[in-house]
Amino acid sequence: MIAEISDLHFSYGHIKALDGISLSLAEGAIGLLGPNGAGKSTLLRILLGFLAPQRGQGRVLGYDIRLEQPRIRRHVGYMPEDDCLIPGMDAVTFTAHFGELSGMPRQEAMKRAHDVLFYVGLGESRYRLLETYSAGMKQRLKLAQAIVHDPKLLFLDEPTSNLDPQGRKEILELIQDISSKKDIQVLISSHILPDIELVCSEVVILNKGRLAAQGKLSELRELNYLLYEIRVKGEGEGFISRMRALGSRVEETEDKLLRVHVPAELDIREIFRAAEEEKCQVRHFVRSQTSLEDLFARVVGVD
Amino acid sequence: MTIREKGYAHWEGQLRERRFPWTPITWLGIRLAFKKKYFKFIIFSSLVPAVVFLVGIYISERIEDFQSMFRGNRQLLEVNPAYFKTYLCGDFLLFMMVMILVVSGAGLISDDLKHNSLQLYFARPLSKRDYLLGKANVIVFFLLLLTLIPGLVFIIFKLLFAGNFQFLASYPWLPLSVIGYSLFVTGFFCAYTLLLSSLSKNRRYVSILIFTVYLFSDILFGFFYENYKNPAFALISLKANLQQVGSWFFRLKPAYAFPWYWSLLILLAFGIAAALVLNKKVRGVEVVK
Repeated sequence: MIAEISDLHFSYGHIKALDGISLSLAEGAIGLLGPNGAGKSTLLRILLGFLAPQRGQGRVLGYDIRLEQPRIRRHVGYMPEDDCLIPGMDAVTFTAHFGELSGMPRQEAMKRAHDVLFYVGLGESRYRLLETYSAGMKQRLKLAQAIVHDPKLLFLDEPTSNLDPQGRKEILELIQDISSKKDIQVLISSHILPDIELVCSEVVILNKGRLAAQGKLSELRELNYLLYEIRVKGEGEGFISRMRALGSRVEETEDKLLRVHVPAELDIREIFRAAEEEKCQVRHFVRSQTSLEDLFARVVGVD
Repeated sequence: MTIREKGYAHWEGQLRERRFPWTPITWLGIRLAFKKKYFKFIIFSSLVPAVVFLVGIYISERIEDFQSMFRGNRQLLEVNPAYFKTYLCGDFLLFMMVMILVVSGAGLISDDLKHNSLQLYFARPLSKRDYLLGKANVIVFFLLLLTLIPGLVFIIFKLLFAGNFQFLASYPWLPLSVIGYSLFVTGFFCAYTLLLSSLSKNRRYVSILIFTVYLFSDILFGFFYENYKNPAFALISLKANLQQVGSWFFRLKPAYAFPWYWSLLILLAFGIAAALVLNKKVRGVEVVK
């Protein structure tokens, strides 16, 4: 278990950012999802000790989030969302500096800085001034400083934001490579759902400061709802209304294909019954693979 | 073969707890200061008075050899507490200290605010106190180089040139005065610089602020003093306040006709303001309520 928290509360003034969140994060790569203002960043900041929870308790890597913050930070790598640098420095000095601050001996930090900069693909430009780096290079640099001290747990906040498709692919490859090591756990907070789908085996979805869903991606897809692709001939509007009345969420594609998210407890025969009563012929009926986007939309309650 | 081709590799070493976790921040700040334009020139120019005063100490011990040069101005070369105060509280040295703060101190916190690097620092096992100590010690290093080191070197060379301990016997408290004043003026300038540096994300603006507040406070004092002839206006001037407190450290008559502790209170107010502002401004995340 990399982290366990229970009944965590945090408010910014009157605004509740976290409202009694309890969860256990197992090992592996975990995606942290949620719409803006769901409490993702606040949760990360509390886990890192930037903010103290107003209520509740928790442990990260076995250390108490209230009492043992320095120990947590020693073994955690953090890649923030914003661009971060120290002007006037090159990448080697920058990366080694943060290695030293984590507790690495100076010489070792310098040697390791070279290694990780090559690893993230900044080997050739490691002596360039950081101010001259492009957005993609800054993103890699942030990853380099997060892994320089070989952390046990890596927090990545929007690791692929501001990247072109090639840069995004490369960063995701790096994250996959890092998370493939059994002894490095990765917690990724992102808005880009396909990234999470690609890298993570487990997700945590937050909504309005509460835990909306948590579990293995494959299990969540099965447990929460079933997705069917249906094509009907006849009065489609009436059928759609009936399905919505049965608690399903219906999306219509441009070529009139209906994607119907059916509650797990609903009997499939009800779909055919509704079609018959609305005088529709079901011409196409296929159980579809649900995407993380579908799951997210359903759990968070948005289209 | 690069590591990238090999895949992620673990580091085999052991992370250790540092006794002084702020040391990497300080050394980095010092290294970056020396990379700045004109900084080496400023720091060497600042050491010129120290060399002149050291020569003065030598001449004071060989005054007979230099008699023709001084004709009646012997009191200028009398090495006593006033001599030390003249060096440590002199206009030129204080001005050069401010110049060093402008070049090396302005960006200490403002750069971190501008480039969001505070969160990187606080994602490490560092406390707010460690971070601020690391930054403050950059200033401490440069200012003690100009105050404490020359002050103690003057005493040592005075004893060496004299060949006896009579000077120390006459002023046994002088080493403590040098240490005390050097630490005081350094502490004040640390608070002053870090306070102003945390007020803006723009290093240039902070540089202007450091320079202007120091200079303008003195100009304002001059203006009011010339018009109203009231020495209490010296309380407006940072320089005058430092000199007033310096007089107390060296057991000399205050430069201005009001108690030295008024000046001390003014300077301490800066320290308290700095503590309050830094506590609010320096944090791992910007919390918008």
